[in-house]
Amino acid sequence: METTQAFSTEFYTALRPELLLFAGLLALIIVPNLGKGTFRIPGTQIRLPWFMGGQRYSLTSNPHLPAWIATITLTGAFIAVADSLNGGLDSISVVSSDADTAKELLMVNGFSRVFELIFFGALALASFASMNRLKVEGVGGKLNAEQLYNNRRQADFYILMLTCGLGMSVVALAQDLFVLFIGLELASFSTYVLVAFLKESKAGAEAGMKYFIVGSVASGVGLYGLSMLYLWAGSLQFDVLAAEFALTGVEPLPLIGIGFVLVGFGFKVSAAPFHFAAPDAYAGASSPVAGVLATASKAMGMVGLIRMLLIVAAPDASDGSAVWLVCLGALAALTMTWGNLAALGSTNPKRMLAYSSVAHAGYMLAGLTAIGAWTWDPSFAGSEGEAALLVMTALLFHLLVLVAFKLGAFLVLSILESDGDASRLSSLGGLAKREPLLAFAMFIFMISLAGVPPMAGFLSKLMVIMGIVNVGVGTGATSLGDFHWVWWLALLMVLNSAVSVFYYLRIAVVMFFEQPEEGREGPLPSGWQVRTSILICVLATVLIGVFGDSLLEMCRTAAESLTTNW
Amino acid sequence: MQLVGFPVVAGIVLLAFVSNTNKSAHDRLSNPIRMASLAFSLGLFAYTTAMFFEVFANITSDGLAFNNYKLHDSYEWFPALGIHWTVGLDALSFPMVWLTTFLLPVTIIATWHEKNGATYFPTLLLMGGALIGVFVSLDLFMFYVFWELTLIPMFFLILNWGGKDRKYASQKFFIYTFTASVVMLLGLVTLYLMQPDQIGTGGKYGTMTGRTFDIPTLVEHATAANQNGWFMGESMQKVLFVMLMLGFLVKLPAVPFHTWLPDAHVQAPTGGSMLLAGVMLKMGAYGMFRLPLSMFPHALQHFQLALMIFGMVSLVWGAIVCLGQTNLKKMVAYSSVSHMGVILIGIATMQPMGWAAALFMMFAHGIISPMLFAVCGAFKHHYHSMEIGAMRGMAKHSPWLATSMMFAWMASLGLPLLAGFVAELMMLIALWYFIDLEGWSVLWMVGPALVLALTAAYYLWSMQRTIFEGGDETQPPATLHGDVIPDISNEEKLAMLILAGFTILFGVLPWIGLDMMDDYCRTFFEHMISNGIFKGGA
Repeated sequence: METTQAFSTEFYTALRPELLLFAGLLALIIVPNLGKGTFRIPGTQIRLPWFMGGQRYSLTSNPHLPAWIATITLTGAFIAVADSLNGGLDSISVVSSDADTAKELLMVNGFSRVFELIFFGALALASFASMNRLKVEGVGGKLNAEQLYNNRRQADFYILMLTCGLGMSVVALAQDLFVLFIGLELASFSTYVLVAFLKESKAGAEAGMKYFIVGSVASGVGLYGLSMLYLWAGSLQFDVLAAEFALTGVEPLPLIGIGFVLVGFGFKVSAAPFHFAAPDAYAGASSPVAGVLATASKAMGMVGLIRMLLIVAAPDASDGSAVWLVCLGALAALTMTWGNLAALGSTNPKRMLAYSSVAHAGYMLAGLTAIGAWTWDPSFAGSEGEAALLVMTALLFHLLVLVAFKLGAFLVLSILESDGDASRLSSLGGLAKREPLLAFAMFIFMISLAGVPPMAGFLSKLMVIMGIVNVGVGTGATSLGDFHWVWWLALLMVLNSAVSVFYYLRIAVVMFFEQPEEGREGPLPSGWQVRTSILICVLATVLIGVFGDSLLEMCRTAAESLTTNW
Repeated sequence: MQLVGFPVVAGIVLLAFVSNTNKSAHDRLSNPIRMASLAFSLGLFAYTTAMFFEVFANITSDGLAFNNYKLHDSYEWFPALGIHWTVGLDALSFPMVWLTTFLLPVTIIATWHEKNGATYFPTLLLMGGALIGVFVSLDLFMFYVFWELTLIPMFFLILNWGGKDRKYASQKFFIYTFTASVVMLLGLVTLYLMQPDQIGTGGKYGTMTGRTFDIPTLVEHATAANQNGWFMGESMQKVLFVMLMLGFLVKLPAVPFHTWLPDAHVQAPTGGSMLLAGVMLKMGAYGMFRLPLSMFPHALQHFQLALMIFGMVSLVWGAIVCLGQTNLKKMVAYSSVSHMGVILIGIATMQPMGWAAALFMMFAHGIISPMLFAVCGAFKHHYHSMEIGAMRGMAKHSPWLATSMMFAWMASLGLPLLAGFVAELMMLIALWYFIDLEGWSVLWMVGPALVLALTAAYYLWSMQRTIFEGGDETQPPATLHGDVIPDISNEEKLAMLILAGFTILFGVLPWIGLDMMDDYCRTFFEHMISNGIFKGGA
């Protein structure tokens, strides 16, 4: 593993995607302001052109410009990440410049790169699709103040998208709880505003408020836990905390501290019982933003959970369990069941997707539980040791493909929102007649969420189940009684999948069977950007499900780069 | 193997062709697409028939031995998990594949005038491709993928072309069978992970788990392990057996898991019903033979009585319920349940002959039940009603439909010289032999004997009420609105003739298919006995 100091040459190479994002951010702030503005030297009549403000050029005043800048930046960052993954990435650790007590700040390796792929991919798709979602007034011609204001607001939205991406990637890279927290807050605050961005709709403002209040309480609790951990260990470095925890971990102070920190992340992954704000937030936010919450933001929470549970409070090597094992197992069971039952009862497609997202969080928590139940005995290395690796691979793969079909489903709803409303099941009515390809895409997303082969969602769910069963079966089990109890989580998971089919299919039935709502028989609003995004999602869902092997290998390498840290 | 790829690809291409066209273009395209689908499915049928003559017709019984596959091919699919695209055919799967390719063109012909043809016929092709995929796959993962994949086109067939309650029926169908499948999936995954890793090869198959999804390897390993005790351990083998069987029993379906079937059948369009009864139900029986029966023979012995009870209950209950039906299609659906009971009983006898009877029943029922549903479809198509009493005296005004109905009904109740008779007779002999051999009570014969009478009763009774009764003073049903009573269309006649022809062919010359099934079952039991897994006997 290479180490490098901040702002060295290697630093710039390793953090290329983030720097790109930063450059994009600057461009987003500056470029839309470029105009024929001049500066008059005081006391003279000499006007120096300084290009800020004034009457803006036709290019810079184009309301679509911010969206393009954001999309291109995020896509560029995505490609940069994929490129560095492709080039056989070594781990690069960024340490503080203090030579004696150099602290590890950021770590660039396969693990964090995969998460960056998730973040940038989701955000790029969402910002591309938002071009059709956010109201843009006519280009050129006379605009009144209100319209101008609406156009100006475009820049704000995409700036927030970029800061959100920046914060998330800091979370993925952080090796220090404090750095991680900064990233988390940067991303969180961006999402609070993004949720409330549709100021025209009451639901949006309410959702933003709720999400903000609950979110900041969760963050506050997390911060409090952070301070307790600092009090206990005198450092917030992951490796220091982990070493300390291995020595004297099972004490009230660190346990309470970790528990509090987990509340913060639990909110992000929308695990029950911290999920209450999620359905409201998703329902009130514009659909692309809700899609980001359900994919990228959730992945960010998972990074936190993985770091806290598997690095800091690592499972005990001797008896194959972790202190948090039973607690997390119960939480997983609760989350997946609650999410699915609540989704059964919701008639708002966005709330339904929100609850399905809760259920998916439950599946992933079950995967984490399985890792906690894994016997960390070196003598198992090579056979049983692979079990935890398998689960980790499955989790990464699941988060990655979730972007395709979860976000895709939200983008379909986004078109319906532009058409008027997507908050009732009947809004989807007759979609198959209004635009067959869109209905087909939605159907693909739904069955992928339900885990029907050959979609990507099946493969990822199968892998999570396989990982759990692998740990549950252990070695030499000959009867159900010999299984570790995490095996029953797998059973609960498949039963939950069966329950979930009902509400996913209901969407399909409404789309194909029912008539459109009164006055909504006509064609849907146009917009090739959002349709392109949806097409990308469909292709990814199907192709990864059928030919996903290389992606699987990538996740495996990423998981390995995490496990070398264990 | 091309067999899977072609229909799926063709279906998708044809669907893509029509997906974004408007209504009138849709109608214009419907005929060429119908022709293309028919030509394509006929090509497939010719291909599998040629395959029969080339590979299976003159094969010796050694070539059909247990766990020995023809046209075996394997490609890497997800090497990281040990998943391969592995296909192969043996005496279990080949008849089913042939049956699928046979039924596809027949279904297309029988439902020639289905509405929205431009999307209907490609969906049928997709369905056929998925079904073939189930039968040819020799990889657990691939098997499960196609197993679930069959649900999607069938869901749409019911939803888009079904009857009045299609919304309810399609969802019930999907959820019911999906639930059973996921339990089966957990069983498959547990089976996959409980095999000792790095078996034999020393390598790890280059996978993350060191295990394989390859069915032949698993079966081979299971057979070796079963010689010295139970593969996977006694209680585990039982648990896995139950988990897998649950998935298959629901698909079959056996009472009490059968409630999805009548709903699905009654609401499904004729083409959907034909494929559903003809091939999709057989997936359950096929899955049993392919996985639990091959891998868990000890558990099979342990659960023999339970299987026998399931079979008897399905057989008798299905027949009794048939008696009370007023809906023609529902009656036929329940008769399927009853016939599936025969398959279970055949399996439970654990005699080569019983197994061969079960296999032949799958095949014969796969030809006869589509004809039953084609008759029901024609009935509905022309009289706009499914009620048994709605149309009387068909013999007078619709001789073609009356004849077809009579033929199909007779075939289904097991008239000698027709395909169904062979299977039923073999099952009865095997059961009798088994009872004698194992010293079970003769009372076990009461069920099948009773059902012989019951089956004759419900079929004859329904025939009497539709074909013969009230010949002269026929009142056309109200649903006809006073139109002239038509006989069936030429396409329907053609489909009936083809189905009837093959029913007679396999009734008179059953050895065409039976030979290989018989060889397979015999070698299976010889294999099990010589390896000391089963005690001597047949």
